[in-house]
Amino acid sequence: MENQFFLNAGIPVHAPPSQFGSFLSSSPMSDWQSLSSAMEIQSQDCFPTTDYGLQYESALSSMVSSPTASNCNISGDSLMIRELIGKLGSIGNSGEIPRHSQPMLAASSCYSTPLNSPPELNLPLPLPKPMGLNSSVADFSADPGFAERAAKFSCFGSRSLNGRTTQFGPKDNGEIAAYRSNPLTPNAKLPRVSSSPAIKAMASQVGGTNKNTPLQDRSQLVNFQEESTVSEQNPGSRKRKAVPKAKPKETSPSPSPNASKVTEAMETSNEKRCKLSESNGNENGSGKAEKDAKGSNTKAPEPPKDYIHVRARRGQATDSHSLAERVRREKISERMKLLQNLVPGCNKVTGKALMLDEIINYVQSLQRQVEFLSMKLASVNTRLDFNVESLMSKDQIFQSSNPSLQPIFPINSSASAFLGHQPQQNPPLHGNIANGTMSPCSVDPLDTAICPKLSTHLPQINQFIETLPQYPEFCEGDLESLVQMGFGQNQSQEMPLHSQNFHGSNQVSDMKVEL
Amino acid sequence: MRPHSSLKQEFLKEWIKGLQRCSFPKKSILERKKAIKLSADIAMASARNGTTCWSRALISSAAKDGSDNNHLVKQILGPESDRPAVENKAPARQASVCKKILKRSCRIRRRGRRKCGAAAAPSSIAKHLVKKRRQILRSLIPGGEFMNEICLIEETLDYITSLRVQVDVMRSLATASVRGTE
Repeated sequence: MENQFFLNAGIPVHAPPSQFGSFLSSSPMSDWQSLSSAMEIQSQDCFPTTDYGLQYESALSSMVSSPTASNCNISGDSLMIRELIGKLGSIGNSGEIPRHSQPMLAASSCYSTPLNSPPELNLPLPLPKPMGLNSSVADFSADPGFAERAAKFSCFGSRSLNGRTTQFGPKDNGEIAAYRSNPLTPNAKLPRVSSSPAIKAMASQVGGTNKNTPLQDRSQLVNFQEESTVSEQNPGSRKRKAVPKAKPKETSPSPSPNASKVTEAMETSNEKRCKLSESNGNENGSGKAEKDAKGSNTKAPEPPKDYIHVRARRGQATDSHSLAERVRREKISERMKLLQNLVPGCNKVTGKALMLDEIINYVQSLQRQVEFLSMKLASVNTRLDFNVESLMSKDQIFQSSNPSLQPIFPINSSASAFLGHQPQQNPPLHGNIANGTMSPCSVDPLDTAICPKLSTHLPQINQFIETLPQYPEFCEGDLESLVQMGFGQNQSQEMPLHSQNFHGSNQVSDMKVEL
Repeated sequence: MRPHSSLKQEFLKEWIKGLQRCSFPKKSILERKKAIKLSADIAMASARNGTTCWSRALISSAAKDGSDNNHLVKQILGPESDRPAVENKAPARQASVCKKILKRSCRIRRRGRRKCGAAAAPSSIAKHLVKKRRQILRSLIPGGEFMNEICLIEETLDYITSLRVQVDVMRSLATASVRGTE
């Protein structure tokens, strides 16, 4: 029986992931619809009798126990979830559902059937954790509430499902039936299961009464992806649209207590699976709908509760080590992508080793450049002594006058201060500057001239560069002398030299200033 | 390149402050260069305000007692708040040193084992290559030996941007000074 369940559910560990990939890649809507129709028929045919329900309950209870045992055992949870889904799927999946290999589909198909069965399992209304079950599992209606909840939650990244309490009020069986009509639509829509907010929304909606018709459900599913990213929905609001339609079945009738437990367990494990599967999906691109949730999870996986929720990819090992390893690898690859954008020439390179090579070369070259430039600066002759007090005083003066050039303010102030220092030697020329009453035009050239040197990507600077070609040299010298001042060079010797240098440029700057 | 003019400004400000504080020896160019580089590095690291691991490691290694640049560093740091950060690093560094020793011993053990069993599988070879490069990267980034992989890559990102800023500012300063001398 168990084996059958697993087979039917199509959750074999060695199931080729390509199936999912192909499945998802193909027109999901049409597939889902066909599936849903098939499931409809099947649901009627293989309507889960009480036997099924009992089986389901037993399976669920067995599942429930496992998660509690393995507290933070991600692998155990995911494994449990898989079993659960498998069992659920097998329960209702008497018929042949196309894409049987896809556990989600199978589960969903199975789930649809139990919908008809009386809600023996009352899923707990408050779902503390975001359910990772894919919406495909929404049809999971072995226990209407349970199946729906599990399905809905599974597909959604368990990211921030914290605090998301799904308020599952008394669910109407009718609602479940409505969902049943769209057994697979959720799956189709699951592509991008969003972060927990989406799941939360779903959870809340699950609890809410779903009065949408099947058609509405479908449309909702279509919007699922968009909705999935909707932040937490009002738990109290029982509106479907908030909740990804993918889980229309969430609003199943009140689940039994057992189902609630199982759902929770499933949800947590699904969350984990969702998370992991998301990350894994990115890598393998398997067709599992659960992978949709991964996308959001990989961005910023937030452990809902002390542990990271990951979902094992289909065909992958499900032990905690490999799951954690997968998450870690996802993180690393994310950051490597960022590095790729930063390091020039890394875009064409593929593979970790080559990229690391490029990065190492780049870092080494930058460090060597720093060494070389510092040597160059050290070799430059020091010039005028720098007057720190004058520099500081000028800072405030020029600060207000150049709000637009704020980024280079220190430089401006230092340059201005230096220029202010200049007037001491050439009062008539730099009187304006020293007073700090320079008109904006005179101040701007000064600043802009310095700006190009230090922040060439400031657009405003470029405007002035052309107009004041000679000015920059003047300012550069100022700036440099500012720096060299720190060198503690002999001021007296350098002063005359420097003043001579500035004499020539003073005239130029003077002309510019008067502009 | 994303605009980091604010970072440049910050870096330059700190650098100038540091330069002003040091009493640069006027004699040898090498010492001057060392002082310049040191003040630039510390300015860059302090611009991060201790948010990144490499910046803290840089400052703490520079301020290590017994190092040649100690006096210079102390001067540069001056009354800044980097000192407490530097001091706090001591116990953390001890732990990291222990970790480092442990890692080294593990690496040596693993190396011995690897030699015994020829790893013909391409994946293992690739892993070996990647590991090698990661080690090199760790040696490049200040404080990299104490980071795990994820942190290492993040720190590399930050370090590269800071280095870029440093190079840009220094280059512009150098060209300005060169032009000034002409």
